[in-house]
Amino acid sequence: MIMRATIGALLLAGTALCAPAAWAQDVQRGGTLNFTAPYGSSVGTLDITASAEVQTEIVAHAMHRSLYKWNPETGKPEPDLFTDVTISDDGLVYTYKLRDDAVFHNDKPFTADDVIYSYNRIATPATASPSANFISRIKGFEDVQGGSATEMSGLKKIDNHTLEITFTASQDPGFDLMQNYVPIYPSNVEGDTQATQPVGLGPFRFVEHVPGSRVSFERFEGFFGEDDQPYLDRLNILIMGEAAARDVAFRNQEIDVSVLGSQQYQEYQADPDLSKGLLEVAELFTRVVGFDTTKPPFDDKRVRQAVNYGIDKDLIIDRLVKGKAFPAVGFMPTTSPAFDPDAQGYAYDPEKAKALLEEAGHADGIDLPVIANQNESWGAPIVEAIIPMLAKANIRASVEPVENAVLEDRITAGNFTAFIWSLSSGPDPLNILRCFYSKTAQSACNYTKFSNPEVDKLYEAAQQERDEAKRNDLIRQADGIIREEAPYWFFNYNKAVMAHQPWVHGLRGNPQELAIQDYDKIWIDDTAPADRKPQ
Amino acid sequence: MGRYILRRLLQMIPTLLAVAALIFLIFSVLPGSFAGTMTGGGRRALSPELVAQINAQFGLDKPLPVRFWDYLVRLAQFDLGTSFRTREPVVDLIAARIWPSLQLALSAMALAVTVGIPLGFLAAMRPGSLLDSITMIGAVSGLSMPQFWLGLLLMYVFALQLGWLPSFGYGDGRLRNLILPAIALGFAPLALLARTTRAGVLEVMGSDHIRTAMAKGTSPAQMIRWHVLRNVMVLIVTTLGLQIGSLLGQALVIEKLFSWPGLGSLMVDSVAIRDIPVVQGTILVIVLWFLVINVLVDVIYAVIDPRISLR
Amino acid sequence: MRMPFRLNLTLGLALVSLVILGAVFAPLLTPHDPILDADLMNSEMPPSWDHWFGTDSQGRDVFARVLYGARVSLTIGIVAQAINSTIGIALGLSAGYWGGWWDDVVNGLTNLMLAIPSLVFALAIMAVLGPGVPSLLIALGLTNWSWSCRITRSAVMSLKSQGYVQAARTLGYGDIRIMLTQLLPNIVGPVLVMATLGIGEAVLAEAALSFLGLGIRPPAPSWGNMLTDAREAIRSVPWATIFPGLAVFVTVLGFNLLGDGMRDWLDPRMQVRA
Repeated sequence: MIMRATIGALLLAGTALCAPAAWAQDVQRGGTLNFTAPYGSSVGTLDITASAEVQTEIVAHAMHRSLYKWNPETGKPEPDLFTDVTISDDGLVYTYKLRDDAVFHNDKPFTADDVIYSYNRIATPATASPSANFISRIKGFEDVQGGSATEMSGLKKIDNHTLEITFTASQDPGFDLMQNYVPIYPSNVEGDTQATQPVGLGPFRFVEHVPGSRVSFERFEGFFGEDDQPYLDRLNILIMGEAAARDVAFRNQEIDVSVLGSQQYQEYQADPDLSKGLLEVAELFTRVVGFDTTKPPFDDKRVRQAVNYGIDKDLIIDRLVKGKAFPAVGFMPTTSPAFDPDAQGYAYDPEKAKALLEEAGHADGIDLPVIANQNESWGAPIVEAIIPMLAKANIRASVEPVENAVLEDRITAGNFTAFIWSLSSGPDPLNILRCFYSKTAQSACNYTKFSNPEVDKLYEAAQQERDEAKRNDLIRQADGIIREEAPYWFFNYNKAVMAHQPWVHGLRGNPQELAIQDYDKIWIDDTAPADRKPQ
Repeated sequence: MGRYILRRLLQMIPTLLAVAALIFLIFSVLPGSFAGTMTGGGRRALSPELVAQINAQFGLDKPLPVRFWDYLVRLAQFDLGTSFRTREPVVDLIAARIWPSLQLALSAMALAVTVGIPLGFLAAMRPGSLLDSITMIGAVSGLSMPQFWLGLLLMYVFALQLGWLPSFGYGDGRLRNLILPAIALGFAPLALLARTTRAGVLEVMGSDHIRTAMAKGTSPAQMIRWHVLRNVMVLIVTTLGLQIGSLLGQALVIEKLFSWPGLGSLMVDSVAIRDIPVVQGTILVIVLWFLVINVLVDVIYAVIDPRISLR
Repeated sequence: MRMPFRLNLTLGLALVSLVILGAVFAPLLTPHDPILDADLMNSEMPPSWDHWFGTDSQGRDVFARVLYGARVSLTIGIVAQAINSTIGIALGLSAGYWGGWWDDVVNGLTNLMLAIPSLVFALAIMAVLGPGVPSLLIALGLTNWSWSCRITRSAVMSLKSQGYVQAARTLGYGDIRIMLTQLLPNIVGPVLVMATLGIGEAVLAEAALSFLGLGIRPPAPSWGNMLTDAREAIRSVPWATIFPGLAVFVTVLGFNLLGDGMRDWLDPRMQVRA
């Protein structure tokens, strides 16, 4: 039952759906794509540096580019706005040879000044940018944040297309600088106007934002990508938070792409036509119930293990999540390079759970109040399903439903006994392991107040290790200890599913977030409805 | 008349101030915070520096009374503040939503008026008839359905099964997109209007002067036009006014369901993400709309029926 | 020709009784527990002899959840409306009887409450208090009293100058006593009608708040959260939405018809003279 596919196999399963069609037919240029932004009924700001919302990221990715880009096939960052980089021996100084063929939508040629401007703007405390975390390893960041400098000393322009960045740690900066949240803005445009009149150097040019309804773009002819890219003439991103409405609109062929929930996943799979247009990918998210490991009785590892043994997660995933998830083995997901394919997860064993509880001195059972939001795959419905299961193991679970804003506030404030959430578990495994390092603040991401000397040692060693394979080995060992210590009930790794109409080509299974697609690689053929097909 | 309207408009100020104070208080004790949502739903770690910067930028680090005072001072200058989420003036965000909201509310009302009132008249012409019974049971049924349930049913039948209409969205304000949400929103006021009209007509018809007119041989058609209509109008305007006034606030469920970019969905989203200035701003606008419509209704009374004097 | 009105009352009474009986005798009507009898192996089963209304996504019996949900919905509707009526009557009686500055205060409050749409107000209160039955009772009980207050006030204003009230006053009755023994009985009728219609509104409001994510706490059954949870599955698991939807409809229809019928019955002017 447990999925142990490797990165490659899973990704192939995803891309294979689109690939044969792409080979069979010639790429067509033109037409309009109606994409959907499914995470809410509005897009707050168009300035991605002022937002932490995926909804805004979906929009921003059409217009902007970052220094690096993420390659969903290899699971690694790769150059985007630079052609070459030399790294100093200590791994701290990076000298980038920037592209000389990139142009902004306002015709300004891309230079080193734009990178320096963009990063300094994000670092400035007055900007209060949630993206600041991603550039915090650039030298001089602390000074700018503290107000003692206005520019980061680690950014140095050598010439128009040569940039030297000095970092404070030798970790690969690509994972941070590839984020859509740290895009390069033109230095001759006032930063504040990006919220309403965005200007970038991405494949599409902003046309119009009808708040709460859609954001529209047109092809940017000056895009630096391959000759005929982007293929589409126009791109509409329709804002549709209500899943039932999205379902009807997709079946009605009003939208070309939709992100599916588990209910629709099951229905679309059963439908002979709709099932042909499903793109699935194992996303780098781990769904968990987290315990406050300092609060009795959950300070006892046996109690936490008992919860893990007491729940039949395969059954929940099969029946309630309708197969739209992979059962979790430990924290690192199957798609992580630090995943251990030989690891054994917790099998469902209510007797063992009961025995563990008794051993820990809780023969009369324990209470497990869980705070949860409404999410169908990692919220209140899941806790509802584990209540009767855990009852058999003498664990009295209950659910306290809260709004998402309250959930996030209470988790980051440590105001809980247990919570259920979906946590990012990639793409950089070292960054993920940091969340189990005892010196990481509870509010930062060590939500369970996890503290284990061995994991600390392994994390510190991995931080120093420059060899990727050896580093992943260290992280894998640490993940094994975390699995044994069970600060979480390891529930599932997300399987993200996107439905697309038969005329849509070039979608890719992005395990970071399936809804983030490279729009410049998408094209539609002439079987699309008349108002959208290529002329 | 002009002075009356002016006085009524001035009278709105204390109500608006009270509403402003009330919602400020309610939302100052709301659990959860905007800065807290910066984890992007478990996607990234929250840094305390960021929380401090955001709180400083929006003045959330100041004590409550100071914030309340600042809020009032800004309100007095017609400034609704700055959205946490978009960092734009709240006024701009609301301005973009007003037209879609009005479009939906007014279409729903237009539907209710053009169908509800004639239906009420017809039913009242033959009380106890089959048409009357069906109309009235239908009207009560219309008031008894959960709004989003009705909306979902309409979506499935007309958008999916029949494929006549788009299922969602604003579609740049095209009529096609407006129809389903307008029906879903207008059904309850339609039912209410039909009922009110019927009751009003029956009451007037039963009154003495109508019966006298009937005895004198006035034809039923003339009678409806001259006697009944005017008397029933007052009742209808009252009902209509209340409905139009409260429609902006009632539309939030339908706006959410149909992805309609009105004030209601802006408010619900802003509550969810704790973008408090926007919540306060939208509620104030919804309340202002209600109050203005109320004044309007009173003015219309006077026009329909000169016997009603404006105090 | 008085048929439609009697029909109102009779049909309304019948529907409301049906719902109340279902709620009261739920344990006798179904062997299933609405919360604990969850069997994921048995989820989303269509209606059968064992599960009259089928089972939901958690494998719970929908019939049992609809019946026990009636308890929740009726409690919310009736208690919230009782709170509303009590506030409305208390404020309306005292304002109408005493007049003066107190009347101005009550009038201002009533206008304030009328101006904020009740769903918006309830949503704000629910967000502050968090999901749950007590929060719902407060949110729905504090936001819908302005009409009963207005009706009571205007009725009292016209009653208080009448002979028997004056007589009671000369007999030395206290204000409170006059309000409760002389005035209250005369306004009970219209207020009861308002309250009956209000119960239906409260049941609908619970469904709307659930849709917006602010209903009662799962796994307790309420029609609102049953509808909301199953709405995406309306195509493949229609029974999980249709039956709670019908339950809401029947209940609200029942209270509306009952309220209408009572109004016609209490207010003879509204009756048709053929």
